[in-house]
Amino acid sequence: MILIAQRPEPGTPRPYRFPPVIRRTVPGGEIVAADLPGHRLAVAALLLDAGAGREPVGREGLAGVLAKALEEGTTQRDSAAFSLGLERLGTQLSLSTDWDSFRASVQVPVDRLLPAVELLTEAVRTPRLDPADVSRVRDDEATALRMHWANPGPRAEAALRADLFGIDARHGRPMDGDPESVAEITVDDVTAFHADWLTRPGTLLVAGDLSRIDLAALGTAAFEGAAGIPVAADAPFEVTVRPERRIILVDRPGSVQSTLRLGHPAPHRAHPDYVPMYLAATVLGGAFTSRLNHLLREVRGYTYGIRADFGLSRRFGRFLVSSGVQTAVTAPALVDAVGEIARTEIEGVTEEELAVARSWRVGQLSVELQAPAAIANALATLVVHGLPDDYYEQFRSQLHSADPAQVSAAAAAHLYGQGLTLVVEGDAAAIRDDLVATGLGEVVDVTI
Amino acid sequence: MPDSGYPWPIETTTLDNGLRVVVSPDHSAPVVAVNLWYDVGSRHEPAGQTGFAHLFEHLMFEGSVNVAKTEHMKLIQGCGGTLNATTNPDRTNYFETVPAEHLELALWLEADRMGGLVPALVQETLDNQREVVKNERRQRYENVPYGDAWLRLLPLLYPPGHPYHHATIGSMEDLNVADLPTFQDFHITYYAPNNAVLSVVGDAEPGEVFALVEKYFGRLAPRPDIPPAPDGRVVPASGVPARETVTAEVPAPRLYLAHRTHPFGSEPYDAVTVLASVLGNGRGSRLYQRLADGARLAQPDNIAAYGIDLAHAPAPLIATATARPGVTGEELEAGLVEVVDEIATDGVTEAELERAHALLTSGWWRSITTVEGRADALSRYTLQFGDPRRARDRLPGWLAVTADRVAQIAAEVLQPQDRVTLTYLPEERP
Repeated sequence: MILIAQRPEPGTPRPYRFPPVIRRTVPGGEIVAADLPGHRLAVAALLLDAGAGREPVGREGLAGVLAKALEEGTTQRDSAAFSLGLERLGTQLSLSTDWDSFRASVQVPVDRLLPAVELLTEAVRTPRLDPADVSRVRDDEATALRMHWANPGPRAEAALRADLFGIDARHGRPMDGDPESVAEITVDDVTAFHADWLTRPGTLLVAGDLSRIDLAALGTAAFEGAAGIPVAADAPFEVTVRPERRIILVDRPGSVQSTLRLGHPAPHRAHPDYVPMYLAATVLGGAFTSRLNHLLREVRGYTYGIRADFGLSRRFGRFLVSSGVQTAVTAPALVDAVGEIARTEIEGVTEEELAVARSWRVGQLSVELQAPAAIANALATLVVHGLPDDYYEQFRSQLHSADPAQVSAAAAAHLYGQGLTLVVEGDAAAIRDDLVATGLGEVVDVTI
Repeated sequence: MPDSGYPWPIETTTLDNGLRVVVSPDHSAPVVAVNLWYDVGSRHEPAGQTGFAHLFEHLMFEGSVNVAKTEHMKLIQGCGGTLNATTNPDRTNYFETVPAEHLELALWLEADRMGGLVPALVQETLDNQREVVKNERRQRYENVPYGDAWLRLLPLLYPPGHPYHHATIGSMEDLNVADLPTFQDFHITYYAPNNAVLSVVGDAEPGEVFALVEKYFGRLAPRPDIPPAPDGRVVPASGVPARETVTAEVPAPRLYLAHRTHPFGSEPYDAVTVLASVLGNGRGSRLYQRLADGARLAQPDNIAAYGIDLAHAPAPLIATATARPGVTGEELEAGLVEVVDEIATDGVTEAELERAHALLTSGWWRSITTVEGRADALSRYTLQFGDPRRARDRLPGWLAVTADRVAQIAAEVLQPQDRVTLTYLPEERP
């Protein structure tokens, strides 16, 4: 035999340790840093409480328009000079928003971190926000969203969100807005959002070789001219799940695949069941070998992939299953997916499945937290959710100790197979009758 | 200028059966990356078998003599690892990153599918993965606006019979007729130890890795007569520009201008890489400044230029832009062509060069920050250039490119008579 049949046993585990979290209070603000000795690149990010959750209803996409407008020049230099200044240091300004935060970051060779942070701060604190530029950026952003919305997915996502949370709530509307909401944004909206949320100090995150980084100097650069105090987040929303399942059909004529977005509301990020919920979703659809992907891809061949997770933010959460399936098998794929969700809710998880989910998630903490950018993201999670410095150690041990009873209980408590909203974006003429015939729920046509 | 773009140690050995092994220790985190490059890609596929190398990549996860169907994924994810594989015109790549104590498991799995796939390959698996791949094609190429641009550019850039003429995803027709004996032969032909490179990077000692590799791979038989892909190094210039205009369900007119340049890894291609960065990487780039800012013809989020790093034939340099509302395809094309022609005629400034060098430097270090990024680079340079140490040369190679050299290469590769123009236009609404 040329191959060795015996599968090898693992060697001695070598525990991973998240780099010690260093908190430094400097004049004007706080720095949260992680030391990564020997790394040539360093990341700095200014984290601000200016996410989509702070946008007024009807102005979805405002944070994103402001982000783009920051690069249109500062009070000190025009947009071309600003871009050139930053790109000559080897970085671009990375701007991102989610429900809970607004982040501006740079990634450069470590000896260029200070000038890069100075330019980052200049854009965030003292943007020019010339009305003509802001209007143009707003129009460009509306165009960019129109481009994005031509893809399968955004309309299904919007239909799901509206059904779960209602369009009167900010989180019942798309996180990044839609072409129409962005078109409504005015120059005054943008300057007011900047004044309200981007002038507060926020937190400076730093990941890199701290022996080569002057944190105090970075802090001076990041917080100079900042003013105001943090605003506490409002209380989490109550989780309200609809009493019966329904199918929402979004027409995409001629589509060769149907885009599935299945979900229901879930608790917020700080819920005490977070770890068992996370593991339950992993068993159901968080890994390649999980139930949904195994059945719909590896057994049936309906899809290139399908995944499930609990997406949780400070004030609300959502259980979500996403996939794209071949048009002809839309109905059976939907039946299979709902079946696996219900089975997980009712029967819970097995120790064999949980063992894979647990080890995988623990292993991910080592495998994924290598690069400075990944460490900076992990620091942001600590700050946004108010987690302790030893959070990653705690998280690891909670993952290790979660047992099938706990995870099954979380699945039973937080999955609602009967209350799912099943959004299908596909060729309605080809799939509508099949969807009705599944009996999974009333079929509602939605135009977006 | 750094004297090396790869400051970590590199140790190598070659097994008696020809398997090239590269180890680069780094004990800063308890993880290890395992990466294999097989010297087989879609360039090896004959007519009628397009997409087979990639479909085969899927089959490599479906079990081998000692590994049950789906067990490969379960074992790697179950030990905390990540894994995946990719196929491109040049090669097929398999990789996993695992907690360091599971290195031996990863090597065992890779050896089992290198040496023992054929007996486990059954019709049911082929049929299942054929459907998965067809869904991949629908999801990535057919169901998204502009999704088939790459599929259209390749035949415009490379003539029939050229190894890059067809796209790696293949055609639905060819995938439909794929039969089991063809895939069994495919494995026997190409998945031999002397057709592969194995790189291990991270928390492992070279001596230990070499011993484990010998243990698991050492008795696999080499194949003496692996057929080479057709030679594509010389693509005769047609002297006639190629054009295709597609009217489709797209939200705005979009242009792709493509030129054949030089193979990845050559000095001229280093110059092309710098040129692409000057032309279309970032807000400070020529295209952004002139078309997204400046003339405001193009959408700021959809403008770029980049090379596709292919090593076995002149690699393409692609510039792309998408029209702002109210701008026609003709106006956009005129603007794009003007910027491209101008850089070919007038060259670039020192400030533009400095900006490109800085971005390329950060990009290089970012690409090899993780152990998996490093393992991929070492496999690439071993397989394509015969020595993993060549990975040290790329960044210095880019930094050695002068403004004069960029001007020279631009004049050479951006010739209008050798240009491919692909235009997407929105369908007229009734």
